[in-house]
Amino acid sequence: MASRRSPAATLGRALAEKRVLVTCGSGGVGKTTTAAALALRAARSGRRVLACTIDPSRRLATSLGKGQLSGRPRAIDIKGLSPARGGALFAMVLDVKGTFDALVARHTQDAAARDRILRNRFYKHISEALAGSHEYMAMEKLLELAEDERFDLVVLDTPPTRHALDFLEAPDRLLAFLDVGILRFFLRPYFVAGRVTVKVATRTGAALAKILDRFIGLQFLQELSEFFLAFEGMYDGFRKRAAEVHALLRAQSTGFVLVASPEPQALEEALFFRRRLLEKRMSFVAFLVNRIHSDPARARAARHAGRAVVSPELAALLTTTLREQQVLARVERRAVARLEVDTRERPLLVPELEHDVHDLRGLAAFSELVFGSAPERARAAGVTP
Amino acid sequence: MLLDSLVARRLVVLTGKGGVGKSVVGAALALAARARRKRVLLVEVATPLEASRRLGGPRSRGRETEALPGLFTLNLDPQAVMDEYVRHVLKLQLVARRVLASPIYHRFFAAAPGLKELMVLGKIMVLEEAHRRLSREPLWDLIVVDAPATGHGLAYLKVPLAASLAVPVGPIGHNARRILAMLRDPARTALVVVATPEEMAVVEAIELYRAAGSEVGIEPQAVVLNACHERRFSDADEAQVLRLASSGAAGELATGVPLDAAVRAARRQIRRRKLTRFYRDRLRRSVDTPLVSLPFLFRETLGLSELRILADALEAA
Repeated sequence: MASRRSPAATLGRALAEKRVLVTCGSGGVGKTTTAAALALRAARSGRRVLACTIDPSRRLATSLGKGQLSGRPRAIDIKGLSPARGGALFAMVLDVKGTFDALVARHTQDAAARDRILRNRFYKHISEALAGSHEYMAMEKLLELAEDERFDLVVLDTPPTRHALDFLEAPDRLLAFLDVGILRFFLRPYFVAGRVTVKVATRTGAALAKILDRFIGLQFLQELSEFFLAFEGMYDGFRKRAAEVHALLRAQSTGFVLVASPEPQALEEALFFRRRLLEKRMSFVAFLVNRIHSDPARARAARHAGRAVVSPELAALLTTTLREQQVLARVERRAVARLEVDTRERPLLVPELEHDVHDLRGLAAFSELVFGSAPERARAAGVTP
Repeated sequence: MLLDSLVARRLVVLTGKGGVGKSVVGAALALAARARRKRVLLVEVATPLEASRRLGGPRSRGRETEALPGLFTLNLDPQAVMDEYVRHVLKLQLVARRVLASPIYHRFFAAAPGLKELMVLGKIMVLEEAHRRLSREPLWDLIVVDAPATGHGLAYLKVPLAASLAVPVGPIGHNARRILAMLRDPARTALVVVATPEEMAVVEAIELYRAAGSEVGIEPQAVVLNACHERRFSDADEAQVLRLASSGAAGELATGVPLDAAVRAARRQIRRRKLTRFYRDRLRRSVDTPLVSLPFLFRETLGLSELRILADALEAA
């Protein structure tokens, strides 16, 4: 449904009222910068805001200026930007392995059970090295942070997912993976018997065990069994946790900001994500399209009578340059128009900045581009109106 | 020069931050190799917008599909690759069908971290090793892989290493080690890092470049800097453009070509070409492989003729 409110006002209200804002989108669209700029804006308006990124390349640290970020929230000095009373900004980078370990520690009965899992070779590798763990743990951490009373608002920058589902469905998949009740029936014989024989009740189960054996091998199966059995006592805890994540993602106090660039692939991804959000009844807040190239001729001065005095060679080069950028602007305008038609939403268009954003002032300028009046926007983009 | 070294291998894997144009670079590279009369396969992984569209070919539907004579595309669906593997392991059709229909299979194999990545890489290894039955010639002269931008840097390429460590014995460990050996063998595989002249893309490219060697043991063979803006105006012209901008000069260059707009466009071009130079220098200082620049294309569409421009640039590099 088309909202009557302007998209900037909708986003502004979300920044003032929500408890959790999640930025999503494909890679390279300025998602981290957007998350940091939104967090800074909310902090300047007087909220206590935590910006959390899952990005292991630590881009948030780059955009928040100097200093390393860690797995614990660190206060960012925003005094130079005259924040409203009470406003504070914190930032952190998700520590995937640390979060997973903490999760295990929370749900195991005793130290022995915990250590058995932490030492399990299979666990060691899935908990840090393999793709997918990031999404699982992002959800887990989000839950913890959303309950943290030090913060009014958590802005979560998600990993660039080509497959947006990976992220939204992380809790379900973790649960499915750890569902020992199901797996046990064909894995347990390895563990319990400790012999090569497989005794399973059904033929499908036997076939599955055969694939596992062919594919993985016996010794690994034993480790895998151990892993699942170790998780057995934790399963209820996990299920409860996953249900909480679901509730949090669906809550009215949570909102999603979809970030894209004006390239077809990025817009396609944002569209796809929005459809999934609606299906899952999660709260969509705004589309934000970064790095828009405007037509240089659109904002032209009123008077342009007479021939300009430049050499014919330079005139030809200038004309080519203008034409090229008009093509670019046209292609982008068309792509954005398609998004508007498909969604009946007006996206927030952020023009390309003259300089890369890598400090707080740059972030503040970025947020002027999103929320400011026309002259403020022009100034922030570094363009003389 | 660069192309000589790349087509000497059978496998070229492209990696880089999302949004840098890996798929376009991959298609251009495939075209360039095809122009050298190589039989080329361009592999993508579960991409919604297939490169075959740009090449004018049909969708691959999970099969090697000829987009142009001698150039095939393949969009791999990890789930389909996994199903194919199951059918291969379980020779009996009936049992295989049962397993594939079983919810347990889906829940386990869909959720097991790294399994899909391993399957996809395993499939690529099978393609790399495939030979013609009679002549024993390799089936493909060159396979170009557009590795998915998972956002976790080298996550995809780390999977075989992680799997071989997690499961040192048994078939999974054995296959993971074979995949790793293929990726690490510079005579078989070339890893190419793709970037654009922007802060984050370059930072990530440098990180990828280092980590590929130090963490996975795969030495990158080249860096491609995509979407470059090259110098267009002489120093004197650039100075004049800036003068015109600050004086607010008006008038027209030709009918319907306002000077102020053209000057704005030129200032942007100058800014971008300076950024291109800045980031290219930074990359040069950080990597010791060949660095190839591809131009930013101002086009309505990115189709075959545009890809040919990029392919020619790769050939000339």
